[in-house]
Amino acid sequence: MSGVVAGTFAVARLEWRRMLVRPLAWVLAALTLAWLAWNFTLLLGGFLAGQVQRAASPDGPGFTDLVAVPLLGQLAQLSFLVVPLLGMSVIAGERRNGTLPLLFAAGLPASRIVLGKYLALLGWLLSWLALTLAMPLALAHATDLDGGKLAAATLGLALMLAALAALGVACSAFASHPAIAAAAALILALALWSVNVGAQMAGINGGVLNWLAMSTHEQPLLRGLVSTTDLAWFALLIVVTLALASRRLDNERERG
Amino acid sequence: MTTIIPSSPPVVLQLDRLSRRRAGRHAVRDLDLSLHAGQVLGLLGVNGAGKSTTLSMIAGALRPDSGGIRLCGEDFLEHPELARSRIGWLPERAPVWAELSVSEHLDAHGRLRGLKGGTLRAARERVLDRLDLQPLARRLAGVLSQGQRQRLGLACALLHRPGLLVLDEPANALDPVQAVALRGLIREQAAAGTAVILSTHLLAEVTAVCDRVAILHDGCLRHDGPVQADDHQALERTFFEIAMHGDAAARAA
Repeated sequence: MSGVVAGTFAVARLEWRRMLVRPLAWVLAALTLAWLAWNFTLLLGGFLAGQVQRAASPDGPGFTDLVAVPLLGQLAQLSFLVVPLLGMSVIAGERRNGTLPLLFAAGLPASRIVLGKYLALLGWLLSWLALTLAMPLALAHATDLDGGKLAAATLGLALMLAALAALGVACSAFASHPAIAAAAALILALALWSVNVGAQMAGINGGVLNWLAMSTHEQPLLRGLVSTTDLAWFALLIVVTLALASRRLDNERERG
Repeated sequence: MTTIIPSSPPVVLQLDRLSRRRAGRHAVRDLDLSLHAGQVLGLLGVNGAGKSTTLSMIAGALRPDSGGIRLCGEDFLEHPELARSRIGWLPERAPVWAELSVSEHLDAHGRLRGLKGGTLRAARERVLDRLDLQPLARRLAGVLSQGQRQRLGLACALLHRPGLLVLDEPANALDPVQAVALRGLIREQAAAGTAVILSTHLLAEVTAVCDRVAILHDGCLRHDGPVQADDHQALERTFFEIAMHGDAAARAA
């Protein structure tokens, strides 16, 4: 059993290393962090400009509502593009290079290969989130940061990144080409986010479609509201997508 | 007086009616084969005979449709994790993770096979030296020539000192000097007790290094017998008869 766990970490370490030496991960990190830093300065500028008016209403929105959470919201938007691009080749790339059988021949169950790949991708995404979070946290000593709200929003973002990563890995497991995996992950993620738009436009705020939509579960977290239903929704999505990816790899070992 | 009864080497690999369909046809059909420790088995056959499919199943990269594989007496299909420590596999065309250096490649393979720390470092240095890869240790695997990739693949297969070495066309793209060195390496492994199964198109390679030869045709085993090192022509005759006349030759054999 410990050998299988060690094998999972060996796959994760291998994937992490491959990610670090590929230019794509660095280019995406550099571009997105530069974009987020620029937006952070804009948000901060707007916050400072309106500070005098807000002094009149002490219960009004503060630094967390006007700078930190909107910054995380922008990271959420970027993640729809970044995660499919990063995740596209984790399995589809191995398949194309002919290296997938090397992992099969290491005696690891498909689920552990998928888990190892997923952990590596998640590691990169959480590092990306941590670097973004460092921007508002750098001003924590000089501002009135709402720790609870920021923690809830960070948890929401982490769960969203985890869910999108699982979706990306699953698309990569099913697609024959990394580009197809990226396109599929992007479309599925956007569909999952906005599946309830029609229902909301019709004035329906409950029902299956609203429950299915990622936005229904992400937005309360970004507002600082943590509920077990939302946490369970993300956990379910992650487990189901990773299970599907494992099933696909198992089939591949069966069918060749 | 003490009588020493010589015991035969243990059976490392046993295939029992192994079958596998691929692309709607039988790639391997009812294959029975066994291999003892220290034995070198050459697997011959024309393209599409089922050699690579057989080796992929033995290596654990592909599951058979039916039949069994026993590895050192244990059911390999029940315990695929046995592949981790007991099998070293060089797939056809030696695929590599192009982004990693030769050293990193070996480290990744070693970790996948359960090696770590000082053991991993020692194993890496051993195979780098043995395969003359030390000058290439920092080079990216993606820029290696096919022959160098082949040597890297061999190094990966030998890294964890497996009891069974599965080599799919190991002499591919090797120059004559390297091909001779490969023969020495295979014999050295066999002398150390490793069972070796190798597929090849080169009959000369079989007569030079193998103790036994198995010939596959249309996924079926048509010939399994010892190799006479000095009788290359006999092997050639058998091979061509099976390759040209298939079932008729098999019946005659």
